[in-house]
Amino acid sequence: MAMRSQLYEWTATASIVDIQSSIFIGGTGNNITKPAETTATQFVVIEQVASSGSNPGGAATGTYTSTAGNAGLHMFAQVRINTTDYFLDPDNKPNDGIPGTASPYPRTLTLQPSFSLYPDIYVLPGQVWDVLVTQRGAANNAQAVQQCFVKYTLYDGPDALIANKLLELGISVSPANVDWYKRSLIQQQSAVVA
Amino acid sequence: MRNMAMRSQIYEWTNTAPGGTGFTLFRRSTDTSVALANANTETSIFIGGVGYNITKPAETTATQFVVIEDVSCTPFATGSATNNGGFTQIRINTTNYFQNPDVTQQSGIPGTASPYPRGYQNILKTFDLYPDIYVLPGQVWDVIFTNGVALATATPADVVAVFVKYTLYDGPDALIANKLLELGITVNPNNVDWYKRTLIEQQSASMGGMA
Repeated sequence: MAMRSQLYEWTATASIVDIQSSIFIGGTGNNITKPAETTATQFVVIEQVASSGSNPGGAATGTYTSTAGNAGLHMFAQVRINTTDYFLDPDNKPNDGIPGTASPYPRTLTLQPSFSLYPDIYVLPGQVWDVLVTQRGAANNAQAVQQCFVKYTLYDGPDALIANKLLELGISVSPANVDWYKRSLIQQQSAVVA
Repeated sequence: MRNMAMRSQIYEWTNTAPGGTGFTLFRRSTDTSVALANANTETSIFIGGVGYNITKPAETTATQFVVIEDVSCTPFATGSATNNGGFTQIRINTTNYFQNPDVTQQSGIPGTASPYPRGYQNILKTFDLYPDIYVLPGQVWDVIFTNGVALATATPADVVAVFVKYTLYDGPDALIANKLLELGITVNPNNVDWYKRTLIEQQSASMGGMA
């Protein structure tokens, strides 16, 4: 259980038009009991963030719309570590984050991802992290659903220590590299015993 | 902030702004399309005065290195009522990146080859920006959108978008990026990590030698 693939899906129950709202403790939709944070023995790697998107143009109302189910939804998802926003405009001003149109959830044949989160985002032990969603463009379809999806890997206990070590060594923190480091330790130990 | 030294970054431009204005620094759900009255007008997506803009030209400081990995925009198809997009050109300082074989100017990547959103009107990607484009420390960069048809104001069908994905290397990682460039090695997160590991191994070896 020391390395676990984790996910979190958020669905809004109230409008977040022009409002930046936390998917964990924002007070709308499904929430959790406290802010997302890592303990001293945890390490989180955020690997994917996606949100509801739609195609531009083509409908009678709204500015960023389509005739599909998510008509009008133009959501963005920003990742925040402690108090720092991850995605910035080139003038160093925090922006709304990843457009749902670039990283859509759900993915469809007519709305596929343009963006992949690489390099991953690391949440070090003791840090608080959050995903903040904003909707620009009012939905013009009653079936439109505001959703956000986060995929991350939680490293706990010894694996979190190894993750920190990999970070120090400048090696990407991934399950494969954590396993590689463990094998190296075992091989070194075997060599010493022999 | 050690873990923030290599960051995946995005910028999405749309020709939308509050009604009656040309551009905005903050998106709002009530924004409407801004007109580009003439076809084939070149517009900077950062400081062009149309739609969503930023406060100053995009530039790298002495300790930054940018790698542009993907550029896409709304597709353009002659005669289509919905494909009102265009082309995107990347400009480094005053030099346009994409040129015709006779070294004359062209509009850049067609949205039809690199569509945003991907799958829009069932159009998938034909073009992959590889090798990536490097913006060296101290350079100014821009992405220029050229509209294929005239776009009208406050018209949903005339909303167009450009999407840019880039990686920002800052501080020590920017120095390593420069070093990789000197060595002729592709600048990407994997290779920056590889170079760091090499430095650490060299340091460990020299300390072992001293012992």
